[in-house]
Amino acid sequence: MNQLRPPESGYQSRIRTNIIGLARWGGAWVAATALMKFGPPFLWNKALVFTLLAVGLNVAVGVGMILANKKYVAELDELQRKVYLNALAVTVGVALIAGVPYQVMDQYHVIPFHADISHLLILMSLTFVVSLLYGTWRYR
Amino acid sequence: MKNRLKVLRAERNWTQAQLADALDVSRQTINAIETGKFDPSLPLAFRAARLFGLRIEEIFHDPALDKDHSSLAAEIKKDT
Repeated sequence: MNQLRPPESGYQSRIRTNIIGLARWGGAWVAATALMKFGPPFLWNKALVFTLLAVGLNVAVGVGMILANKKYVAELDELQRKVYLNALAVTVGVALIAGVPYQVMDQYHVIPFHADISHLLILMSLTFVVSLLYGTWRYR
Repeated sequence: MKNRLKVLRAERNWTQAQLADALDVSRQTINAIETGKFDPSLPLAFRAARLFGLRIEEIFHDPALDKDHSSLAAEIKKDT
């Protein structure tokens, strides 16, 4: 018994730290995206230099978020990583098989509105969350 | 794949969380291995063996191998 470390001293605390880091980068990316989207009309009257700066900031923060996510996945244990990668695979597949027909339906006016990238992002987010929850439930 | 992880853990009065921490994995992973829902990788099996001071085959075993051994023994008996 003595050779065991106290609970949550290793893996759990490391993963918690990574989740907090990922959440911070995710929040920063959402803020940078909002600045890029709403800054031109509301903050700097569509001045090109500021818009380019906002785009650059968005990309830079996006790269930071990707690296934080990469670190998070790399430090997951093998089962958690399997669940995460399964959810990612389902998400990419759904995005592909839904995205192309959605764009075609817009092109030929099958749907009464324009295909917006945000709809695809919402679908991907929901698919990922549902897949992740299913994987977690399956191995609970 | 069957394993004796739960028995070995119980013999030492360890919780799943303590074992998970000792093996540097999540408690969910320990639970999934104990219930046979997930087979660990070779490095994790080695870590478990080292922790319990046993050989890997004393913790994990494949029932299909038992079947192979039985049929092999039956074949040898038939030949002799």
